[in-house]
Amino acid sequence: MTKHDAARRAFLVRAAVGAGAVAGAGLVPDAYTQNRERQKEANAPTPAHHANGDEHGAFLNHDDAATIAAFAERIMPGAPGKPGAQDAGVLNYIDLALSGAYADLQDFYRRGLAQLDAYCRKTYNEPFLRLGAVQQDEVITALDEGKATEFTWPTAQGFFDTVRTHTMEGMFADPLYGGNKDFAGWRLVGFPGAQAIFTPTDLQSRQAFTRAPIIGLQPLAKGPSAERA
Amino acid sequence: MATEKTDVVIVGVGAAGGILAAELGKAGMKVIGLERGPRLTTADFSPHDELRYFQRQELRPNVKRQPVTWRPNARERANLLPILNYGNQAGGGTVHYGTLSWRFHEDDFRPRSQTMERYGASAIPEDSSLVDWPLTYADLEPYYDRAEYELGVSGKAGNVQGRKIDGGNLFEAPRRREYPLPPLLADQSGILFEAGARKLGYHPFSSPRAILSQPYQQRPGCSYCGFCQSFGCHIGAKSSILVTKLPEADATGNFKLLTGTMSYRVNSDSSGRVTGVSYYGPDGSDNTIEAELVILSPFIYDNTRLLLLSKTTNFPNGLANSSGQVGRHLMAHIGPRVFAAFDDRFVNIYMGPSAQKHSLDDFNADNFDHSGLAFIRGAQISVTPADLEAGPIGTAMSMNPPPGIPRWGAAYRDFLAKYFARHAALVAQTENLPYADQTIDLDPNVRDQWGLPAPRLTYNWRRPNELARVEFLFKKLEELGRAMGATHVWRAPLGPGSPGAHHEGGTRMGSDPKTSVVNRYGQSWDVPNLFVIGSSTYPSMSGFNPTLTIQALAYMSADAIVTRYKNNPGPLI
Repeated sequence: MTKHDAARRAFLVRAAVGAGAVAGAGLVPDAYTQNRERQKEANAPTPAHHANGDEHGAFLNHDDAATIAAFAERIMPGAPGKPGAQDAGVLNYIDLALSGAYADLQDFYRRGLAQLDAYCRKTYNEPFLRLGAVQQDEVITALDEGKATEFTWPTAQGFFDTVRTHTMEGMFADPLYGGNKDFAGWRLVGFPGAQAIFTPTDLQSRQAFTRAPIIGLQPLAKGPSAERA
Repeated sequence: MATEKTDVVIVGVGAAGGILAAELGKAGMKVIGLERGPRLTTADFSPHDELRYFQRQELRPNVKRQPVTWRPNARERANLLPILNYGNQAGGGTVHYGTLSWRFHEDDFRPRSQTMERYGASAIPEDSSLVDWPLTYADLEPYYDRAEYELGVSGKAGNVQGRKIDGGNLFEAPRRREYPLPPLLADQSGILFEAGARKLGYHPFSSPRAILSQPYQQRPGCSYCGFCQSFGCHIGAKSSILVTKLPEADATGNFKLLTGTMSYRVNSDSSGRVTGVSYYGPDGSDNTIEAELVILSPFIYDNTRLLLLSKTTNFPNGLANSSGQVGRHLMAHIGPRVFAAFDDRFVNIYMGPSAQKHSLDDFNADNFDHSGLAFIRGAQISVTPADLEAGPIGTAMSMNPPPGIPRWGAAYRDFLAKYFARHAALVAQTENLPYADQTIDLDPNVRDQWGLPAPRLTYNWRRPNELARVEFLFKKLEELGRAMGATHVWRAPLGPGSPGAHHEGGTRMGSDPKTSVVNRYGQSWDVPNLFVIGSSTYPSMSGFNPTLTIQALAYMSADAIVTRYKNNPGPLI
């Protein structure tokens, strides 16, 4: 985690928002319970790192954060040796983006998530979060193909496209922006980051690039070699 | 409200405006450049950041503050274009462009005559406004040469004074001498493309680039980092106007650049001459530059928009528009693409200069026989990363997986993980014909951050001649991908009918004031002290990227202004 990110997260955690509360939000959608969870988090020592990367608090509320995290994980699912959206901290990226560069998309997300919820409840009698992976994939397919009802603005396809785009940004943008944690996305695809130079030998190699560590925007943010995880 | 007097005011200091600022300044003319964006420096481009510069398009206009709208035909309401590809800073598009620096072919300057001579008049679609240019390749050759040597272009000549040279582009028009710098090193994608194309009997070569392959003019050679298209160069090896002509203009002592300024009107008097330009300053102030000579060289939208916004009782249809041609014949390249993925090797296409790396010209212009084909003119074919730019965000956004794999989920993740570093894209950059009903005008419904009507494009490239060309090229690209040894070869979907890259037209040049807006020097037929210089003056577009030709035309116009117009202001023709 970058210094900038760590400091910012420390503030957010002090503001009584933490990984534990997020994970619980969808499963225990009771305000009182959530408050107790938050209280516990607030009293807990401030962690410098979060193991699971599903952080939020700059824009998304707990329920919405949990839904976005689950949605993004279906778009880029993690598996052993293959980091996915949660490993990369995609939720953290989207939450930060919606509070800053993409603030004009806040209502797009609010309404898109409300429509997603309405569609899932109508079709499955359950919110997205409570669906199993197979059903969640059915829902995303229906969105991608524009077949999901209950959507006006954003359209089902428009909402899917945007969440997909932001998931890819959270996977592959520099960690400075809150995703691509420990270069998880770059390790997944074998991208060595912002290398300042490639040699003639590099250019002629038929192998994966492993000569230098991954380079990020922060001078100290150098990760393991560029070899794929 | 501030008023300032000068000899020359230039609106838009990019590929053309930067050259004019330097050359007119050297001739002792006092020049003020009005630039909408900021002036950045090489130091601003380090380290490279794909999200900021590619995905969020920081070097390009913000679509919400500076909207441009598009509709496929005049019956439909226009919607905002989601992406704008031109520059938004001093140096214009040359700051973030892919640096492709082509000379047009000889027949690119006479496409109508060439087509009629070889295939007969019936080969030209009835609704196309295809015409010859009012100048020939030979007229422009000295200025191409000057642009290549003054700016710094790397490449391999294929035709020096008629002598064909293997390894260069055998189809290029004759040049007086070699490029000033040898071609850039080929990366794996270039090596594969070279071998595949030769196997098929084609004539591949390293694309000519405005990137230094060796140190030149106190600037360093390329470090092959791969961040070219969409990015500023972190070492100044890209021969952008920012590091070439702007320092020259500064050194004359006659040039002043005003950044953060939005030009909204070209002023004219009752005698029919222009008197200067009004602009909004960065603080919202309303200001005027009074000038003897006004040069418009922004991106093409703003040429048409400014002329239409500058209408008066003397010029009721817009300034310089007695012909009624302002805003017409809009053209843009379309890029049918095919992906090639390799199971047995890495390609690492993120290395080396991005955009169109290695090319072939066998199917461009009239370089091949179109007899029996349902189209005229062709396309330049190149190997490139998925989205010209080579990072993983761009790849994820624009490399559709092959049929059978969705664009999300575990299978997609595995596809991206396996092929991000093992893919190459093949792209054909098509020469779409001009059509008079492809237009730029003022959107009646959408305004920009200054309250000015947004440019509105009415354009649809999906016409019979263009669709037939695209299908022909798709097959060539697939053939190339297989010849390169790719395990998987598949097509990218075609976009909607909206214009792609490299816009041309809107203020077409010609020989007849009744059917064109400007003469060969970019001088308005109606208003002799008004020049429009850039790709908006192109009568046709060629399959080649437009920038070097914009720059050659700028040198030619600067020459005409300094040697002839300066001492005797008036019509040059």
